Amino acid sequence: MATATRYIGKPLKRKEDPRLIQGLGHYVDDLRLPEMHYAAFVRSPYAHAKVRSVDVSKARTAPGVVLALTGADVKGAIGFVPCAAQIPDMKSAPRPVLAVDRVRFVGEAVAVIVATDRYAARDAVDLVEVDYEPLTPVVDPERAMAKGAPVLHEPYKDNVAYRWELEGGDLKKAFKQADKVIRQRIINQRLIPMAMEPRGVMADYKPGEKQLTVWSSTQIPHLLKTQISVMLRVPEHSVRVITPEVGGAFGSKLNVYPEEALCGYLAMQLGKPVKWIESRRENFQTTIHGRDQIDDLEIAVKRDGTVLGLRCKVIADLGAYYQLLTPLIPTLTGLMMCGCYKIPAARMEITGVLTNKMATDAYRGAGRPEATYFVERAMDLVAAELKMDPVEVRRKNFPQPEEFPYATPTGLIYDSANYQRSLDLVLKNSGYTKLRKEQAQLRKKGKLMGIGLSTYVEICAMGPSSAMPAGGWESATVRVEPTGNVTVLTGSSPHGQGQETTFAQIAADMLGLEPDEVQVVHGDTAAVSYGIGTFGSRATAVGGTAVYKCLEKLRSKLGQIAGHILGEDPGKLVFRDKKILSKSSKKSLNFVEAVGAAYVAKTLPPGMEPGLEAVTFFEPTNFTFPFGAHVCVVEVDSETGDVKVVKYVAVDDCGNVINPMLVDGQIHGGIVQALGQALLEEAVYDENGQLITGELMDYAIPRAADIPWMELSRTVTPSPVNPMGVKGVGEAGTIGATPALINAVVDALSPLGVRHVDMPVKRERIWQLLHKPSGRAPAKAAPKKRRAR
Amino acid sequence: MKVEGSYVLEASRAEVWALLTDPNRLARLLPGCERLDPDGPDRFKAVIKFALAAISGKYDGSLTFLEKKPPKLLRLRLEGKGIPGFVKGEGKLELGEKGAQTELRYSGEAQIGGMIAAVGQRMVDAAARRVITQFFESAAAELKATSAKK
Amino acid sequence: MIPAAFEYHAPKTLEEALRLYERHGDEAKLLAGGQSLLPLMKLRLAAPRFVIDLGKLRGMNHIREENGKIAIGALTPHAEVEHSALLRAKCPLLVETAAEIGDVQVRNRGTLGGSLAHADPAADYPAAILALDAEILAASTSGTRTIAAREFFVDMLTTQLRPGEILTQVRVPILAPKTGTAYCKLHQPASGFAIVGVAACVTVNRSGKIEEVAIGVTGLGPKPYRAAAAEKALRGKKTNPKLLADAARTAAQGVEPLSDLHASAAYRREMAAVFTRRALERAVARALGKKA
Repeated sequence: MATATRYIGKPLKRKEDPRLIQGLGHYVDDLRLPEMHYAAFVRSPYAHAKVRSVDVSKARTAPGVVLALTGADVKGAIGFVPCAAQIPDMKSAPRPVLAVDRVRFVGEAVAVIVATDRYAARDAVDLVEVDYEPLTPVVDPERAMAKGAPVLHEPYKDNVAYRWELEGGDLKKAFKQADKVIRQRIINQRLIPMAMEPRGVMADYKPGEKQLTVWSSTQIPHLLKTQISVMLRVPEHSVRVITPEVGGAFGSKLNVYPEEALCGYLAMQLGKPVKWIESRRENFQTTIHGRDQIDDLEIAVKRDGTVLGLRCKVIADLGAYYQLLTPLIPTLTGLMMCGCYKIPAARMEITGVLTNKMATDAYRGAGRPEATYFVERAMDLVAAELKMDPVEVRRKNFPQPEEFPYATPTGLIYDSANYQRSLDLVLKNSGYTKLRKEQAQLRKKGKLMGIGLSTYVEICAMGPSSAMPAGGWESATVRVEPTGNVTVLTGSSPHGQGQETTFAQIAADMLGLEPDEVQVVHGDTAAVSYGIGTFGSRATAVGGTAVYKCLEKLRSKLGQIAGHILGEDPGKLVFRDKKILSKSSKKSLNFVEAVGAAYVAKTLPPGMEPGLEAVTFFEPTNFTFPFGAHVCVVEVDSETGDVKVVKYVAVDDCGNVINPMLVDGQIHGGIVQALGQALLEEAVYDENGQLITGELMDYAIPRAADIPWMELSRTVTPSPVNPMGVKGVGEAGTIGATPALINAVVDALSPLGVRHVDMPVKRERIWQLLHKPSGRAPAKAAPKKRRAR
Repeated sequence: MKVEGSYVLEASRAEVWALLTDPNRLARLLPGCERLDPDGPDRFKAVIKFALAAISGKYDGSLTFLEKKPPKLLRLRLEGKGIPGFVKGEGKLELGEKGAQTELRYSGEAQIGGMIAAVGQRMVDAAARRVITQFFESAAAELKATSAKK
Repeated sequence: MIPAAFEYHAPKTLEEALRLYERHGDEAKLLAGGQSLLPLMKLRLAAPRFVIDLGKLRGMNHIREENGKIAIGALTPHAEVEHSALLRAKCPLLVETAAEIGDVQVRNRGTLGGSLAHADPAADYPAAILALDAEILAASTSGTRTIAAREFFVDMLTTQLRPGEILTQVRVPILAPKTGTAYCKLHQPASGFAIVGVAACVTVNRSGKIEEVAIGVTGLGPKPYRAAAAEKALRGKKTNPKLLADAARTAAQGVEPLSDLHASAAYRREMAAVFTRRALERAVARALGKKA
């Protein structure tokens, strides 16, 4: 960057935090409007049932109730829940906002009540009589695919939503030339995203102005605005979406939910504001779930550890309906299946399956953690099979730094990397050689210590529009106000990422100002130009670049103004310390004076438009591919099976860094979330389709006390894809850490012949492996029968 | 959820059979059963109020005798729906002679849906055991009372 | 998460509370710290017509030495037990147990009396209360009676407390000389409840003979219990690692362990042995004045 970096690269404290820490932020539930009404939903306790009748008559006359509507009541008035992903020959699985004649997962709404207060609304829910005729639920995805399984979406004849294939390189040759073929079934369990703030919607309709305003805890205000307009069949300019503070999402709010359209509809019906705040129980049942794949791997490998080919068959449990991106997520697993390795041939076959569960969709990493997890497990399986050090297997298969941009057999172009460098650094920082010696000592004493390694690459900065279902660009508007303050408007509405700080850092450096002089505005579709949103680690690389490009335009204009006034060559002016100055002549103009000139418009260069505002819709040419290497050390209690993470060392490379403190925060959070998946979390549906991990008493998420000290460091390999050379970091920790943790656990158990353990490695699972002779997991054993998940 | 086990009652098979198939007496054995009214052959409407410390819930449902092989085997189905969700159980009771006593072997499978299924995971096992124990204890008491009357 | 309507009472005196409780019978629930009752009410699994909040009662939050015992008021929060200097010196088992309950928020709100009266099968306190042979005081409009800990727990969520009775105080003995205590627990990772929790109280004489031993176990079955077989195997014997391990192996004797998502019956049974051994080892070491 041709800019002084006073703030870029510095660990500035977040501008957002003082208000959030002091409880001065406003989430949806903090907003009040006069005459507020509250919605509550009647939800199915059955996973699969015909709805014979829904009787809301008692609820309608209950105290405080103003409206009680069933699926039949709104059927013609509100469109289906949208799905932006299209896969060739995909079955349709339309989800009405309220179930009409059939429910397909526990928690699906069949009626909505609106009352003058939350208590009245909730009381009336219990007065609604629904006559269900239970149908056999389809829970296990493999059984769902079997002949004769009950079909979720008639008139289709089966539950296979789609089949998707991807192949690159000469796979036949690879498997023919292989010295060994290693096979392993790997399960990536279903997870609950569990944002701290559940979903929430408030809607208000002004009939005179014909203006519907919807406040929603969402990652995608603009897309939501469009979808609400389509679902409710109102002109898009009549809809405004406002996203106040969002208390986390992890992908779960990258979606359009029935409640968002319904609250809008209810507000329009009543002419009164309507609010709905999701309860934690509803959040478990009806906010999208993550992951849920069965991955059958075949690895073709030479005796020296060179991987020649990789074949993977994925069964992806999509749940009962498609949410916004549901069918698309597993395909990302296909794209990233080769990881950071030069695997010449690869084939992916995905079967998307419909089951009586909540839909799966984007959850931190969204399809990529699945790929990284199995390819990193694959490297360790190769190492175990060939009795090699996992480090050596990885080195053997890395592309060399000079091979970038590197084309994968799955059709991606990795932008830039130096995998050797991050691996070397993590080995050094963790004292890998010493750790292996310690491990040998401990093993002699019968102690179970494991060292796990993961070298990952992921796909960020989503992304070029050509590869995205609904636009991959991002918008920004930057305005210098007449007094010299700067307003940055971004379409990447954050939900905890800290754009208010990082974008202010960029603007401050570009214009020679202080970050406090920059205000970042987002999340109001009436204020901000159409944008895409914050997900897929895209905010800085795509949204930030749009801001950067606006700032370039403004610098150019301000430079011309200053040059005109100072009589200097605009090309030779720099922005520093609130001045625009000429390096050669030392002449300078106060920044505010130049800005004033733009607005007062008396001393502008001839022909120049007044004002100081720039708009950019930035379209990236490629994704970016951050990478890193993690080392994890665990100790396993051989009596209880308890796993303790005793050391965690990470080296991550996300290109140039705007704010290292925020990057570290993202890595910390990511590793913690990975630890959750590896050791604790699992959304369990019983054989009847009941979500029996229905609350935080049974669904374990990591807490502060479960978290080891994390030693973080970075290498910096700038991306050539955008002018700031940034890549993205929001999901890296989660993607890189899960395999490191499991590789460590398997390594700890390897003296017992264990080659693989599925997540989450709960204590009892390890205890069984340790204490039952049959617990040994032989190399080519049939996949063990899994509980319906 | 699967349940199985056995319980020995101090009465003949005929007496136990009579007890289990008489809706008026059976109603007294089912914990929390407020009503058990005939609703067709071998089918009864049931109102059950379940209470366990602070936890309570009312279920409307039905009891059906699916198969009767006096005095050896009784297969039955119990279904209930209420505010906390639904329960549905199917099971069989086998009556074995053990001298003057009768050994009742039970096995069955229960489905629980709704709130209890979602949040009551860790309590379900213990609660089911308690309901079964209460049922057999009531049966023993009922039989004792009957034989005392004779 | 919105409870059904209820009538709220906040009596200022125990007498008033007892009268209210007697009047409303089983339509009323007592609210102490609310850590069990309020979630149940929010989920509407419990919908009492009357809630009698004991929080305003005076004189039920105390920890004091009385007649050679420590008396703890029923409304004493876990956090106060955890940080009590008196208990640390004279009944460290309760301190160690309280520190293992839930999380900081739960410990600040939840109370000793509330926990015992609720009788959750996986609660921590019952193990310690049993191992200490504590006394539980229950008041009613007709007076106060004392219930021995061993008689107190009847079944899951069920105690000896009669309708209309309010648990007012718990009395625990002062740690005897040459006695060591310990509470060892396997946490359920989500809720923090005990999959198995074992409280041990062991008196060892100079020659290493176990003079007295009491072992309370929670989490394993529907109600907490004393591991009588293990106690018997230890009493009067000279302590050694094998003795402790062998005795611990009988900890689950006669109990049919619960089974749930987090631990099967077989695993719980095995963990009962492991954690009984660990608690015994720690308690014995402490009795012998070793750091553990």
